Amino acid sequence: MLVWLGLSVPLLVYAFMGAQSERPVPTPSNVAWTDETIELASGGDPVRGLLLARRCERCHGTEGFSSKPEIPNLAGMDKLAFWKQLQDFQAEKRESATMQMIMQPFTPRDDADLAAYYSMLPTMPDPQDPRAFPGDTPPAAHGTMAARLISLGDGRRGVPPCQACHGPVAYVRGAPPLLTQNSAYILKQLTTFATGIRTNDINMPMRSIAADLTEEERKALAEYYGAGLASLPTGATAPRR
Amino acid sequence: MRSSTLRLVVALVLFTCVFLFMRYYEFDLPVWSYLTGNNAVDPALLHLQGEFVESHLGTTRELDGSLTLRLIAEQYLFVPHCVLVPAETPIRVRITSADAVHLLFFAGTTYKLRAVRGTVNEGRFEFPHPGVYSMPCHEFCGAGHYAMRSRLVAVARDQFPSLKPGEIASCGPR
Repeated sequence: MLVWLGLSVPLLVYAFMGAQSERPVPTPSNVAWTDETIELASGGDPVRGLLLARRCERCHGTEGFSSKPEIPNLAGMDKLAFWKQLQDFQAEKRESATMQMIMQPFTPRDDADLAAYYSMLPTMPDPQDPRAFPGDTPPAAHGTMAARLISLGDGRRGVPPCQACHGPVAYVRGAPPLLTQNSAYILKQLTTFATGIRTNDINMPMRSIAADLTEEERKALAEYYGAGLASLPTGATAPRR
Repeated sequence: MRSSTLRLVVALVLFTCVFLFMRYYEFDLPVWSYLTGNNAVDPALLHLQGEFVESHLGTTRELDGSLTLRLIAEQYLFVPHCVLVPAETPIRVRITSADAVHLLFFAGTTYKLRAVRGTVNEGRFEFPHPGVYSMPCHEFCGAGHYAMRSRLVAVARDQFPSLKPGEIASCGPR
């Protein structure tokens, strides 16, 4: 009996310590941009994606533009950014009761095919397509505020210009283009990043930037992008506050 | 062995030793530590494994009681965006880059650290006064480089939270 105790207690302690050290580390996303992942995500079949996208049309529109401003437009979306978000929905790294349920049956290959299809959709206006984009023109003050943030950012707070990552000046891997995105969707994502509800940005860029923006600035940016103004040449001519 | 050959061999050995132990330009660790691969990291996996996962970023206390500040440099900010350290205390700063080459500079000091993709760079700094030190990037890294700036908040030693080993102090979003 004593021998049994003498042997089992150290084993239990060792097992407990092992369990402690192997506690899973919380991660923002399971996607890692290795060469293999990039090849998989960017090598989809757009024709197969066309067939798979039939189940997406109800919410995201037949041409990739949604009729509701809170649902994102997918036309012209970057393949890698698109693929990552679908992967995050499937891995429950990004919260959405609807999307998590819908994406469960899809495989990474399916996600790549959808990404290839939607990346090829044009983003030009179509008056016959019921779409929420573009939205209303923002008030002048908000427009100026947004133009400054998009083109220059704010060096005092360390907020980089949106166009350096989200286009059209430059793009960073994983950052979606925003030029034809809906305002309500952008506002919701900025808010969820700022409050820490959405946490699937790798290495925390959006959580950091959105938290540094004021609520008014987030609203101004959403309105500016949602009105389709970000594709125009932007310049910060208003004096700094 | 002839004396000239011996002198040449000795000179080569000395040169090799000097080379391996010198601190390479703006890297604060000896060259040999990079040749052994101890400071190599996979930039694609920073968020999944290793010392630069999100839960380890910021100021932490090590088992020996020393403080280590871990940062990731990426386009276009250093994360965590706001870090908290005690003033007048030696801090070990470890940084790596997720993408391009960045140069972390602490305004108001002479401290700088280059962040290179695939490598961890390390420096030991002490911030003399409580206050806010701006951390701009001093190496062109892309379209948003000029706005790339984070901040370091140095507080008096008695105001710095007492951390248990593994606990993190940060003033930015997590």
